[in-house]
Amino acid sequence: MERNEFIAKLFQRAKEKAGQAPDFACEASYSAGSEFEVSVLNGEILRYSVADSGGLGFRVLVNGKMGYASTQILDEAAVDMLVDGALENAALVESEDKQFIFEGSERYPELKLFNPELEALDAAKKIEMARELEKLTLAQDPRIVRVDECAVFSTCAESGLVNSKGLDVSQKGNLLGGYASAVAQEGEQVNTGFKVFFVMDPGKIDLEKVARTAAQEALAGLNAAPVPSGSYRVLLRNDVAGTLLSTFSGVFSADNAQRGLSRLKGREGEMVATECLTLMDNPHLEDSAASTPFDGEGVATSPKAVIEAGRLNTLLHNLKTANKQGVATTANASRPGYAAPVGVAPSNFYFKPGEADFDALLERMGDGLLITDMQGMHAGANPITGDFSLAAKGFAVRGGKLAEPVAQITIAGNFYEVLSAVEAVGSDLEFHAPGASCFGSPSLLVKQLSVAGL
Amino acid sequence: MILKSTAEQVLNEALKTGGDFAEIFCEDRRSGAVGLVDRRVENASTVRRHGAGIRVYRGLNSVYVHTNDTSLFGLTAAARKAADAVSGEACVGDIHLTQSLTANIHPVKAMPMDVAGARKAQLLKDMDLAARDVSPEIHQVRANLIYWDSDVLIANSEGLYTGDRRVYTRMACSAVAEGGGESQSGSASPGAMMGFELFEGRVDVAEQARKAARQAVTNLHAQPCPAGVMPVVIDGGFGGVIFHEACGHSLEAAAVAFGNSEFAGKLGEVIASPIVTAVDDGTLPGEWGSLNIDDEGTPTTRLVLIQDGVLRNYMIDRLNGRRMGMAPTGSGRRQDYTFAPTSRMRNTFIAAGSDDEAEIIASCGDGLYAKSMGGGSVNPVTGEFNFAVAEGYLIRGGKIDRPVRGASLIGRGSEVLRKIDRVGSNMWMAQGMCGASSGSIPTNVGQPMIRVTDMTVGGR
Repeated sequence: MERNEFIAKLFQRAKEKAGQAPDFACEASYSAGSEFEVSVLNGEILRYSVADSGGLGFRVLVNGKMGYASTQILDEAAVDMLVDGALENAALVESEDKQFIFEGSERYPELKLFNPELEALDAAKKIEMARELEKLTLAQDPRIVRVDECAVFSTCAESGLVNSKGLDVSQKGNLLGGYASAVAQEGEQVNTGFKVFFVMDPGKIDLEKVARTAAQEALAGLNAAPVPSGSYRVLLRNDVAGTLLSTFSGVFSADNAQRGLSRLKGREGEMVATECLTLMDNPHLEDSAASTPFDGEGVATSPKAVIEAGRLNTLLHNLKTANKQGVATTANASRPGYAAPVGVAPSNFYFKPGEADFDALLERMGDGLLITDMQGMHAGANPITGDFSLAAKGFAVRGGKLAEPVAQITIAGNFYEVLSAVEAVGSDLEFHAPGASCFGSPSLLVKQLSVAGL
Repeated sequence: MILKSTAEQVLNEALKTGGDFAEIFCEDRRSGAVGLVDRRVENASTVRRHGAGIRVYRGLNSVYVHTNDTSLFGLTAAARKAADAVSGEACVGDIHLTQSLTANIHPVKAMPMDVAGARKAQLLKDMDLAARDVSPEIHQVRANLIYWDSDVLIANSEGLYTGDRRVYTRMACSAVAEGGGESQSGSASPGAMMGFELFEGRVDVAEQARKAARQAVTNLHAQPCPAGVMPVVIDGGFGGVIFHEACGHSLEAAAVAFGNSEFAGKLGEVIASPIVTAVDDGTLPGEWGSLNIDDEGTPTTRLVLIQDGVLRNYMIDRLNGRRMGMAPTGSGRRQDYTFAPTSRMRNTFIAAGSDDEAEIIASCGDGLYAKSMGGGSVNPVTGEFNFAVAEGYLIRGGKIDRPVRGASLIGRGSEVLRKIDRVGSNMWMAQGMCGASSGSIPTNVGQPMIRVTDMTVGGR
């Protein structure tokens, strides 16, 4: 069945079955998109995948309760499955929190999220790019013995919300990206280096830079060794600082705070970080799949400082959490995919860059550790307490200069404490690969973290 | 789901441009989740996923196309897209499929989608009450039930036409303890390849919830773990995540076939302490990581990976088997139809040894006792792994001393396997979701209590 026809039938059926409820409302969220990825090894195509996928999520509000159901088939049977499923699920819900289906904002920002030039790049061109990226990576140094992964990918997705209160919004975005993972070997020593890129403008692609960064990362870390355990002054490189922010981004969710799952509960207006930190949530950035004119409930989005010069301005809200706290939504309702219930999530979430370039930060640190890699975030970090203890790699820094590479260490600390222990913020803001959210940071100089090594 | 004649047509289409192997994986999956937080059922959802993936090989090149449209028209279009990416001599196929029936060794008594909502809500409340009953310090409990029922059909150009139905049920309970301006958490999340009969005898939801709550309370009163190098005793069950990360991933053909594993080319060599035997077994009835057939239609197997310290087998999927010149081991797995399969683990464990648990701790001197593990990760190329300790205690003079929190363990797989100096006699398993290039799949990890002579322990 065609989508509009399906939605019309769906709403009609829902109204027949539950329309007598005084607060009855229902909503469909849909997505449809295509994905492409090609990876190469020794110039040969290793993997090649093409996908068209989509689906439709349905939610219904009856007697104050919201129920959800979703499908990837739009046929007659799916109409009943969605309506019956969502109504049954609504009947199970006991939460007394007021639920919302939103009628729409007055106006929505116009964002450039789709670039027709990207669609003009055909598969052959992308295969050629992947081959080129591998060639460039291998050519960086004779010690780069192979690439572990080398790929180019593209996505194009359309998504939208339609509801019984008259909301009908949609957006379309596309993105091209790629990555190289270089393997460096010297004697028995092996190390890997990884770099990913993503762009909306094909003119911004710099494969040589991606190859160089991946290769340098692999080479520089050869012959790394642990340092003695102890407390170190630490420079978190931009990508690592972004990883830390992404791991603990849930502490800024009002939903978590209201449930006692974030220590930022009730701290709006207070200093929660050093003055040099400003944390932005900006849904209007270019080159990011996380940018959007409307959030998961259809509310118009806008950029905002969550932390401004150390002070917590606001937590991230959707309509439910904002209503609970008597504030306006920050338009951070998330619906990661059409099937998931509405939650709270950032869009493009990043620390605002400062003045100091990377070398100036090294200079300022003097003696300490530069951390260039952290692993184990899904287990070694506790999003409720803020505690983390993670495997790390990096370099010793002496007299403001990079010294020998370091590996097989862990760094441990607490995210809330790190916010207050940042001494300086770099000018080198960099973003991770965007998903439903996109995280970024400049390099951060941190007073002290615990290191386990020798 | 799709007719044999449809599959034959689609496979022929997929091979039209010179591919030498084609496969259709069609899946219809219904899943549901019910969650409780703040003492109340907060959300309930139902999801139906449906689609097919088509794979074409030419030599060692592999093309994967997936779509939601499983009509003859949709599948033929997808097959054409796959064929377009393969360039070779055109050939006229004549594929004839022969149906084979898969014996189900995992019978299901209570299909999760049929279980009444009220019963699901009651199970969640049982968890909530049991956890809160452990201590007034328990301030928040999240309880979830997740379940899915996946019907798959696999057909390939070698004539295979078969299917399988996989039903999974899992609970998850996490408890947060608060006191003295601090909060700490604990969790438990057992599951099985079963229906809701899981909760009649095999898993007691209240006991699991109490376990999560006790862990949270223990952690609340624990000191930060000191950092350093020390002997580590790792308890059974989820402790097996050490083998999963430190060794398992590096024995998957996906790493071995490209030399991206520290264990590549080492079959028949000693890679572990002689007291270590490790197994990857897909045949255990009802277990979380079990299968009837893998996602390429190959019957599942029991595979001894390491026998008395000697490397015996890799886990091999069809494509990497071609690459390595070795037969597949029924290890081809994928999250769903949107992923091409690759070699993955199933129920992977260190087999029971002969050491006494009390002696393992008593003879340890000073060290760390990791009673319960969190998850971890590994870089298979270098073998560097890390994982988190969810509940740990310091060992002082051979006795379990005070609880410590925030510990993590790091090392290199090839080194840690040689440093295992004790293997206990009581092996058990626990459930996890394992993420890799073919998505997130259910796997069991397991081991008896083991001891590693020295490991780097991260803490503050």
